[in-house]
Amino acid sequence: MAMLSAMTAAASMFPGILFASEQEEGIPEDANLDWKKGPCRFCGVGCGILVGTENGKAVAVKGDPNSSVNKGLLCVKGYHQIMCLQSKDRLTHALVKKNGKYVQTPIDEALDIVANKMKETIAKHGKDSVAMYTSGQSTIPEGYVASKFMKGAIGTNNLDCNARLCMASAVTGFLTTFGADEPMGCYEDIDHADYFITWGNNMAEMHPVLFSRMLEQKSQRGAKIIDFATRTTRSSTASDRSILFEPQTDLAVANAICYEIIRNGWVNRSFVEKHCNFSKGLTNIGYGLEDNFNFTDKPEKIDFEAYKEFLKDYSPEKVSKYSKVSVKDIKYLATIYGDPNKKVVSYWCMGMNQHTRGTWINNLVYNIHLLTGKISQPGNGPFSLTGQPSACGTAREVGTFTHKLPHGVVMNKEDREMAARIWKVPVERIPSKPTYHATEMFRAVDRGDIKFIWTQVTNPLVSLPKTGRYRPAMEKESCFVVVSDVFPTPTSDVADVILPASWHIEKGGLYGNSERRTQHWDKMVEGPGETTPDAWMTIEVAKRMGYGKLFPYSKENHVEEIYNEYIQFHEGAKHGMAPLEVLKKESGTIWPYVNGKSTQWRFNAKYDPAVSNGEDFHFYGKPDGKAVIWQRPFEEAAEKPDQEYPFWLNTGRVLEHWHTGSMTRRIPVLHQAMPNAYVEFHPDDAKSLGIRNGENIKVTSRRGSCTLPASINERGLPTKGQVFVPFFDENMLINDVTLDAFCPISKEPDYKKCAVKVERV
Amino acid sequence: MKKRLGIISFFVIIFIAFILIWNFSYQKGLEEVYVPAIETPAGNIIPSESGVFRRFNSGIDYSNMPVDENHQRTLKDYYENRAYPGAPPSIPHPVANERSLGGNTCIQCHQNGGFVEKFNAYAPVTPHPEMVNCRQCHVTKNTNNTFKDFAFAKAQPPKVGTGVNNAMPGSPPMIPHQLQMRESCISCHAGPSAPKEIRVTHPERINCRQCHLPKTNEQPQINAGTFIRQFNSTYEE
Amino acid sequence: MPIKSYLAHPIKGRKEELMIALRSLDQCEVVPAENQDVLALVTDTPDEKEEENLKEKIEAISSLKFLSLVSGFNTPHN
Repeated sequence: MAMLSAMTAAASMFPGILFASEQEEGIPEDANLDWKKGPCRFCGVGCGILVGTENGKAVAVKGDPNSSVNKGLLCVKGYHQIMCLQSKDRLTHALVKKNGKYVQTPIDEALDIVANKMKETIAKHGKDSVAMYTSGQSTIPEGYVASKFMKGAIGTNNLDCNARLCMASAVTGFLTTFGADEPMGCYEDIDHADYFITWGNNMAEMHPVLFSRMLEQKSQRGAKIIDFATRTTRSSTASDRSILFEPQTDLAVANAICYEIIRNGWVNRSFVEKHCNFSKGLTNIGYGLEDNFNFTDKPEKIDFEAYKEFLKDYSPEKVSKYSKVSVKDIKYLATIYGDPNKKVVSYWCMGMNQHTRGTWINNLVYNIHLLTGKISQPGNGPFSLTGQPSACGTAREVGTFTHKLPHGVVMNKEDREMAARIWKVPVERIPSKPTYHATEMFRAVDRGDIKFIWTQVTNPLVSLPKTGRYRPAMEKESCFVVVSDVFPTPTSDVADVILPASWHIEKGGLYGNSERRTQHWDKMVEGPGETTPDAWMTIEVAKRMGYGKLFPYSKENHVEEIYNEYIQFHEGAKHGMAPLEVLKKESGTIWPYVNGKSTQWRFNAKYDPAVSNGEDFHFYGKPDGKAVIWQRPFEEAAEKPDQEYPFWLNTGRVLEHWHTGSMTRRIPVLHQAMPNAYVEFHPDDAKSLGIRNGENIKVTSRRGSCTLPASINERGLPTKGQVFVPFFDENMLINDVTLDAFCPISKEPDYKKCAVKVERV
Repeated sequence: MKKRLGIISFFVIIFIAFILIWNFSYQKGLEEVYVPAIETPAGNIIPSESGVFRRFNSGIDYSNMPVDENHQRTLKDYYENRAYPGAPPSIPHPVANERSLGGNTCIQCHQNGGFVEKFNAYAPVTPHPEMVNCRQCHVTKNTNNTFKDFAFAKAQPPKVGTGVNNAMPGSPPMIPHQLQMRESCISCHAGPSAPKEIRVTHPERINCRQCHLPKTNEQPQINAGTFIRQFNSTYEE
Repeated sequence: MPIKSYLAHPIKGRKEELMIALRSLDQCEVVPAENQDVLALVTDTPDEKEEENLKEKIEAISSLKFLSLVSGFNTPHN
């Protein structure tokens, strides 16, 4: 500045004076990056990110301060996500298996092969011999064209997705209790709640940005976090109280809490009378272990007295005996829920959903909130978190399930007629019977009933349970496997055709996160080689099969065109979606988007314009506007530890890696922080077996085995008699060991409970 | 007689007052509390200026702080454990408790810095000590290999040096890096743990952003009427 | 911590000499003008005494014709 003033003075004395120009040198790279917004590629929190590009390459990431989800903060995966693009084994061209070897093929030719094979298979074996398996990481356009292609063009319900493995129980929980899917609250609940109770999920590692928001409330407002889980984790150490329970007994404890609420007179009588019905369903409903397992529930209306009578078996004293939760702790939880002056949010994720009675436990937690009237209010309510970035936006809202349509279900005539109208297909073409859910789909591949399967954006040979059966099934000659992915995975290793997919920022798209927020992003960089967005590949195959007229979209603009067609399905106050212009400007909007405003709390007349019964709450998913309190008992797990297999096996995730690790393991920062999987032991168990930290342990079940190094009291501490293994490591495939038992109502497999034995190797 | 009447009427008045007050209180108690939805402030993305002032109250005399030439870091060291400029650094030292989020364990050394005998270095000072879930973004490095081959390509860090970042010769250099999460300038630009190339000549002037402006090109439609930081508003010291 | 800026006018033809002489003094920053015979000079010293010393040293340089002060400020310690 002093120099500047000297120069200015000189300039006044000597007009036209020039000083040595040092200013053009070196424009700082960092500051001149082009920052574009979008949602994060990874978990269901759906943080807003800004990607910095320079010369067409993505070089930096930061949190989007404008996003009310994360307000500028990310987690370690989010900060480094773009680095996976620098992995040298990126799939850049289509590969076709010829004589046992993969031959690089121009993509048009590969798509020809796919389309011809599909046509041929349909001609020879019928429409139901081909299948598609998409993903909760597919963008909304990708899910939509897959649905239109299979159900509207070809006319088969053989479409399911990997969200069946993570959110199906949450969905059936919502539908049975409320008649409408997806949480009624939003993330802003965090700013209002007094208590956060997490049910079997480790938010500090799995939804870290939300957990940080909770920690902020803890230090600012004295909110309390109670961790209710089967394992001590980072979340437990950060919470105010950690309550451990025996696997599967969450059903009993939830009932015990309801018992206490009723016994102490904490029931919000007017709320229950005005807004709730009571029902019960079948019991002893099985575990889905047999092929072609079928189950339909038979609901039966009951009344409050019958429900109260049923709960007598679930007094805290009785439940604490087998759940290993003390009576004091059960009563403590009940007090928190029962206190009318305390706002409580319950959070859960896979602990409750990946459960052989997943629908039931979801119902039970809703019961607690319905009995106390703590629902659909700021800071008060149950909130089901999702794992994938668009399990809500694509899988559930577009409906890439065997029984779903973008609006409604295939079994319903009006829903089929609406789809037929918007898709411009004859209504008879849309089949009315659901066919295979995810697990059954791969069983059908094994049996030879499905002869062609196309997977997109997912890695089933690492993520399915009991992969020991499904890997040889996919390798069979009888099934032609097409895999669209970004990197080679164990799934692409068995493919007949591998299609190179575009990654996240190499294509435009939309995702929908846990709080019903839809977020849009534009293409930011060009993909390498012949990588193509999945939606476009589906469209190209559809064109080759003669359905071009149904997919009149342009390559440059298909995202926008598809979205505009899709939102017609959701018009109305109950599910209206924001127009694309709004999504481009803002960091997402929450649906229902009515009259320019996001509906943050549904079913509550103060915030939800779709409430039409004149009362303060209206559960309009159900025909009579009332939610259902379900009577659900405790039932044992499919496979409990016994003499031969004395340990519970629990599987899950870690902060550094996302799901099957195909992206995050290729990011050096993340891989170097967590290079391989391990098996966690309780120190007492380790001691009695003579196991030291880091020793190789073979974990065996009735289905298969897996060898991993032992981890004693490091990242997580399971209860005694339990071991825990993270599933991100394709080289230590713990899903060879797990059991493909599932909840008969939702068909979601239980990855958290089966019986294993351990031995040192 | 009059006295008795007086006393009785006194009690009657008290009783009536009691009934009125009790009713009023009961009616008030029946009122439901309406919690208005928080309106998200629009477009305020200028990082809050107050972050600049942090760490100056602690009585640390930066201008008289001696420079320990033998143990100071360089910018090369600084970028060594960052995947790209602006990335959260990895933890280069072993950490005791895997199950901890960080919090007090990390803050012990990283809030104020100081020489650590064990690592023969000065602990870098964090510009955001209020974020307690440290290990959400900062991870350790447990191995040196990669899962599959990786085409390492480091983005160029901003240039440093006289005249490189100035709008005009002699003007205060502009801030060539993003400010998000790095609002406390002094944490990195002064003190013994500062990388030597960016150590400033006048750390005692406190209000850095009075002269040094960010050289960024973020969204121009900024509601410049209020400099509100959205993330939290209570850490304004 | 006085910081002063000056315009240094060299004796005719001895601009280079002046520049070298000034550059050798280490509390000075010199930027020569490209098309005129004048140099912009900024001095930055830790206190008043040093500043006086430096000014004397500068004025002792033979190639300097005169020194005109443009601006100066003194920042007190924290």
